[in-house]
Amino acid sequence: MIYVLYIIVVLICVYTIRHYVFTLNRLFAYQRHPYIDIDIADWPPVTVLVAAHNEEKVIAHILDALLAAKYPADKMLIVPVNDRSTDRTREIIDDFVQRIPGRIRPFHRTRGKPGKAAALKDAMELVDTEVILIFDADYIPGAGIIKQLTAPFFDPEVGGVMGRVVPINVGANLLTRLLDLERAGGYQVDQQARMNLRLVPQHGGTVAGVRRSALREIGGWNENTLTEDTDLTYRLLLHGWKTVYQNRSECYEEVPETWSVRIRQIMRWAKGHNQAMVTYTLPLLFGNNRATPRERLDGALLLGVYIMGPITLLGWILALAVFYRGIAQFNGILALLSITAYAAIGNLAAFFEIAAAARLDGNAKRIRLLPFLVFGFTVSIFSVTHAAVSQVSGLLTKAEFHWDKTERFRKAAS
Amino acid sequence: MNSFLTVAALFVLTGALFALPLLPAVRELRRKSDASPLNVIQKHAGEIRYFADSFRTYLRPLEPLLRECARSGQKASGVMPDGTEYLVLGSGNEALALPFGDKDRLCPVLLASASDLTVSPDSAFTRDIYAQGRFVGGPNNQYRAVLADYEVHLGKGSRVMRWVHAGGELSVESHSKLHGRASSDFRIRLRPGCSFLRLNAPRIEFGTSPSEAPTPNFNVAPISSSPTLTRLLHEGDFEIPSGETFQGDLVVRGRLRIGSGAQVRGSVKSGKAMILDSGVRIEGSLISAAKLLIGPDCLIQGPVISEHELLIQTGTHCGTPHAPTTVSAPRIKIAGGVVAFGSVWARDHGEVLGSA
Repeated sequence: MIYVLYIIVVLICVYTIRHYVFTLNRLFAYQRHPYIDIDIADWPPVTVLVAAHNEEKVIAHILDALLAAKYPADKMLIVPVNDRSTDRTREIIDDFVQRIPGRIRPFHRTRGKPGKAAALKDAMELVDTEVILIFDADYIPGAGIIKQLTAPFFDPEVGGVMGRVVPINVGANLLTRLLDLERAGGYQVDQQARMNLRLVPQHGGTVAGVRRSALREIGGWNENTLTEDTDLTYRLLLHGWKTVYQNRSECYEEVPETWSVRIRQIMRWAKGHNQAMVTYTLPLLFGNNRATPRERLDGALLLGVYIMGPITLLGWILALAVFYRGIAQFNGILALLSITAYAAIGNLAAFFEIAAAARLDGNAKRIRLLPFLVFGFTVSIFSVTHAAVSQVSGLLTKAEFHWDKTERFRKAAS
Repeated sequence: MNSFLTVAALFVLTGALFALPLLPAVRELRRKSDASPLNVIQKHAGEIRYFADSFRTYLRPLEPLLRECARSGQKASGVMPDGTEYLVLGSGNEALALPFGDKDRLCPVLLASASDLTVSPDSAFTRDIYAQGRFVGGPNNQYRAVLADYEVHLGKGSRVMRWVHAGGELSVESHSKLHGRASSDFRIRLRPGCSFLRLNAPRIEFGTSPSEAPTPNFNVAPISSSPTLTRLLHEGDFEIPSGETFQGDLVVRGRLRIGSGAQVRGSVKSGKAMILDSGVRIEGSLISAAKLLIGPDCLIQGPVISEHELLIQTGTHCGTPHAPTTVSAPRIKIAGGVVAFGSVWARDHGEVLGSA
């Protein structure tokens, strides 16, 4: 028992150091934005895929925003991927097609496997451009973002690109405010630091792009995963394609406004991420692939972020057990202190990231909400643990693949 | 005190201690003093002319006065709605006779001219300048911002702190410093010794004797409509021998050298330093994660990016008149005779080499 605990302590120390390194890098080191200055070029044709499943509340907003984008109109095709919607999504899209001919080519999917990856895979029959950009339907892209997300593809080493997600419904309630802080830490600090350090910025599957030839080389969209973005990141990496992060390519999104929706969302992410962890950790670390040593290490750590939830919980339980049974040196006090020290310093490393992000964004007052993140953290740790346990039991019982769509809260477009 | 009260007090104190760090959080949650979404630029795409366009909009209330002064040849002064003092000149040559032309004197007012505007040397203009005609600045002047509908000529040793935009040609004499954005709808000429950060024009010429030779054509389909090219990914160093043609995209994780007269029919990336010898032709983009040295008389069609330092030698063309492009690096050194079409962005420092 004590040796398991030691391993857990080592693991959480590694993640703690990782958080601190990222934060300090973001605050004090040179920031890499190599492609953001490309404002004039012979822009390539792009296809913008808009993933939509029952999106009547939001689909018009994103189509309006994309039509206003500053990108040569004759080189940009918008493809709403209407995946088996049963609401007015199809009607709204068709209305746009009629009103603005030539700009939008809809893909109405009425059957097939559920899930975003499966829908995108089917929609590829409409794609004939080298650059593919992807947005979820609840996003509101700005005028310059199409150029910004396309620019990195002038680099022949880039297979994927990821922009920054910014919550738009921040002020709705405590949850949205906490998610706003989490997103800021995740993108402004975590993703940008990985970009700076030439590690593995993660493809997020929205506000994102992928090179068609790279996608073809790695075998296309993987429809058997809950997080096609994580899966894509690692397959690109193994084949020598870089995913780059563009911190200044910001795009508004709607974050969940209820805890139940948030819990379902994070459980889906955790399951998909764990799926990728099982599939890619060993090939990445020890396989004959094109990733650099630092990418292998960071990639493996990134794959483990969601499994660290149950591991940390297990660590707490073990530390208490060791303490009360007195089976380790100093009656287990050392073990308990290790875990407690992590709770005091290690967990705070993520909070440190978030505080740094809020500072970099110039949002001084919202940092006051930082203590509330303890609640968000508690919900997350139990949710991802539940996800991991149900995933293992699902494997044993061979349960069906299940896709949870994130509910929208915006008022429908008039 | 009985034991019940002691326990109760302990609970209350513990609760208070726990709640203490939450008080500012609760206050923020209730009052929402910082609950708006991060300000993301939605309407524009960071165009280099953004400030110039905004300044034009700002000047709209002065248009009737400019017309009036142009007709009468008189000058007028007043205060803008935001409190900025202005001076409108009917004849731009009047500026030469104004007292702020004296050495080390400041011009603290917004200057707008209904015609060509010429300002005397050794002056500092702390407010923006607008000329409906040409603008000619004497040597050793310092400007905050300059906008002219036609040509702008900045004398030797000039400094522009924020931006300058010319509807016609923007020519900058030697040893001038352009700290912000410099743009022209026609052409920019920078003389040796000039430093810059952001340049944008259909044609940008560096040095005393910019190449007047027409940009050679590749005589191939533009990148955007080319079929997907194959990609070679090479670990370690790599060299394309002189005179060779490489077909496809090339990614080299180490150093890369491209020999004289070689041609790449695709894009090129190096993880370490990249050197192009003379007369190299690149049909796609040229990207280096480290230093990038472009030899003389090269022709690069796509974007040129270096993550460290970029040196471009004489006679090289970046982009073409029909396919303008972007050149970007933290530090850029450009020799005389280089021509770029589109944008040249030096994040930290850009410099035109050669003696005046």
